[in-house]
Amino acid sequence: MGKAFDLSLLGTFLPELLAYLPITLLILAASLFFGLLLGLLLAIPRLYNIPVLTQLVVVYVSFIRGTPVLIQLFLVYYGLPAVLGLVHLDLSRADPLLFVIVTYSLSSAAFLSETIRGAVNSVDLGQTEAAYAVGMTARQAFGRIVLPQALMVAVPNFANKVIGFLKDTSLAFTIGVMDMMGRGQTLISATAHALEVYISLAVIYYLVVIVLERLFAASERKLQQHERKWASA
Amino acid sequence: MIHLKNIHKSFGRLNVLNGINLTVERGDVVVILGPSGSGKTTLLRCINFLERPNDGEVTIGALTVDCRHPSRKDILELRRKTAMVFQHYNLFKHKTALENVMEGLIVAQKVPKKEARERSLEMLEKVGLSDKCDHYPSQLSGGQQQRVGIARALALNPELILFDEPTSALDPELVGEVLAVIKTIASEGVTMIVVTHEMGFAREVSNHVVFMDGGVIVEQGTPADIFVDPKEERTRQFLKRITPEWSYPMEALR
Repeated sequence: MGKAFDLSLLGTFLPELLAYLPITLLILAASLFFGLLLGLLLAIPRLYNIPVLTQLVVVYVSFIRGTPVLIQLFLVYYGLPAVLGLVHLDLSRADPLLFVIVTYSLSSAAFLSETIRGAVNSVDLGQTEAAYAVGMTARQAFGRIVLPQALMVAVPNFANKVIGFLKDTSLAFTIGVMDMMGRGQTLISATAHALEVYISLAVIYYLVVIVLERLFAASERKLQQHERKWASA
Repeated sequence: MIHLKNIHKSFGRLNVLNGINLTVERGDVVVILGPSGSGKTTLLRCINFLERPNDGEVTIGALTVDCRHPSRKDILELRRKTAMVFQHYNLFKHKTALENVMEGLIVAQKVPKKEARERSLEMLEKVGLSDKCDHYPSQLSGGQQQRVGIARALALNPELILFDEPTSALDPELVGEVLAVIKTIASEGVTMIVVTHEMGFAREVSNHVVFMDGGVIVEQGTPADIFVDPKEERTRQFLKRITPEWSYPMEALR
């Protein structure tokens, strides 16, 4: 059992934990960056119906969706050194942060590829045809006409995914990463005030999510400018 | 001159076009009529390769494309010699009216931005939409959107404009404004092929009428040939069906 509940400890814990927010955000940003790149690559076979690759992507996405991210994290943590050991790459001194970013990139890529695919497919084929009819190449039509419209469609879904990913990062401590959650564990060991630490963590995660939601709502409004009617109309 | 030679197109086992031959001279306004499923729209879409014909030859000016082995460059070139006005307008939804018209000029034709803008403004003025330049498609009526579509096609200065049922998605009261614009540009000598069900328009504006059925051209000729004195039974039946009896004896009703 912990010690008696002491609300004033929040004043100490909050800044202690906030100091590790950058690590949490780094994990999120890095895995989103690589996840988007990989997600785009994964979306291509299904968008263009490329045989074999499509089936591989389907299996990959289904596996990621069907397994807990915590288990994926352990699979990467124990599996990656084993695989790279075969080519004589030694990962025994690697920062655990690396494994976390690899896991979350692989995982978010699967989810984001579905978001991207859905968004691109939602753009009316007539838009591409119009682009071709004015003489654009396939690449120009995709880049200038389809992609911007797909992004608009994708933002709300993307926002939900990002918030989910942020909360998933709280599992990184299980392989020894010093993010907010990891720091929280050490504070609990040192002070035995578990509840105060978890309340502080809840407050921080919640505030970050609110800020992210605001940012996404603003970008959505900006992207969907063309949907708005004139105020007078 | 535009020349289609022995165009064949099938979707799976369904033959939609069975050997179409058609010649269009510069400045011609060709109207294609026919029941739905006759292949009119497919024929139009084969000319700019939005559908790829299985066989035949498409010639526009100096460019002849063998439909069996078209190169990517051939297709791009065909598309750059033509423009299309779509049934459902297909304006770029994320771009304003002006940007819609400018887009092809800037991206496909590499016209400098300033010049593209001037030319686009001119075209929007021509279709009577100078005051809507900064509106997005969602802020425009169907008729206005289609006029932007026409301006977008005109701005490209193509050798041929393809109109795919340009008024059939419009509310009846908006059809007139779009037809009026098409009439104006027809009178200015723009070469065009129009798939339409507007018989009045076909009679008044076209100088060549093509009647299609079952993936072949059944009959073609001047509007007088087709509307007044059709040779083929199928043409006669079609014209009778789409011209309801009550449409002529207006006087009798008064």
